Amino acid sequence: MIVTVRAFADYREIIGKDTELVLAEGKTIGDLLAELGDRQPALRREMFAPTGELKEFINIFINGRNIAFLNDMGTPLVDGDTIALFPPVAGG
Amino acid sequence: MVKERETLSEYEAGRYQRQLPLWGVEGQEHLRCARVLVAGVGGLGTIVAAYLASAGVGFLRLVDHDRVVISNLNRQVLFQATDIGREKTAAASERLQSLNPSIRIEAIPRMLDKETVDELTQDIDLIVDALDNFTTRFLINRAAFTRRLPLIHGAVRGFFGQASTLIPGLTACLQCLIAHSPPPEVFPIIGGTCGVIGAVQATEAVKVLTGKGKPLTNRLFSWDGQVGEGTILIVERNPHCVICGGDSDKTALPLGDRNPLAGGNIILSEPHKGK
Repeated sequence: MIVTVRAFADYREIIGKDTELVLAEGKTIGDLLAELGDRQPALRREMFAPTGELKEFINIFINGRNIAFLNDMGTPLVDGDTIALFPPVAGG
Repeated sequence: MVKERETLSEYEAGRYQRQLPLWGVEGQEHLRCARVLVAGVGGLGTIVAAYLASAGVGFLRLVDHDRVVISNLNRQVLFQATDIGREKTAAASERLQSLNPSIRIEAIPRMLDKETVDELTQDIDLIVDALDNFTTRFLINRAAFTRRLPLIHGAVRGFFGQASTLIPGLTACLQCLIAHSPPPEVFPIIGGTCGVIGAVQATEAVKVLTGKGKPLTNRLFSWDGQVGEGTILIVERNPHCVICGGDSDKTALPLGDRNPLAGGNIILSEPHKGK
């Protein structure tokens, strides 16, 4: 399957604006992020704690829905999904 | 409550001459009769408040417990060097009042927290999120969705920013969008980022209040000032959201029967109900 990853804010600098990835069927968002982290260690450092868990405050959307309300890192991906990665932007 | 009139005074007709073609006397009256809470008078709040005051929003409630410090001055353009040490709400309201002597400004130098949020969101038609942390944002979000008030979300960091218009019964709420709050930090920030996002928020507010244009509903505007690009991300409500899940009561829209998505007929016959 092919999915598109759109990176925003600081993540854009690391992996670029839009990335298309080919993944095997049945992969989850967790698998995708691990794959991106492998390709780009700088991204892994930004997004994951040393324990290997996704930092709590990062917001990831699949087709506009925050994964926190789907199945978190276990949310399966399907062909054509668009994943958006947002670092925390909290100032004012 | 303020009753809408059919014509403007000569002063107003002159003052708002350049915006009347966009929304007419009717739209201008909606602004005059509106009561807006600007939560936070910092980088975003100073910009939004300045544009809303200039546009003739009749009542602005400014809430911020901070005093002006020197590092604010790289971006909080309502303040001058001589304001250092003053309450932000006092300094801002003085400047805003001189921008537009015909509106009313309420300066509230208090912390927005779970003890004060009910009181500070009373008698308001629309809330502007100009806060600098998500803990308080989530409080405001809950208040907005309980009271069924439109909430114009904004956030910035460095060269980046985001904004969205949240409407109870129609859109995702902040809790659906941003599941977790980041740890507080002294965030890097420049004036231009506050300018872009603050201006987007001010535009959203006048669109909701006048019924003109198409607000950023279920859309998150993301600004990348580093390369000079804006993007829209389409977002969706979480139907099981603890704050707004299952709420699709469009008959209880904010601001009377106004439906911002219809972008047309606005009825402000029912002034704010003060839930």
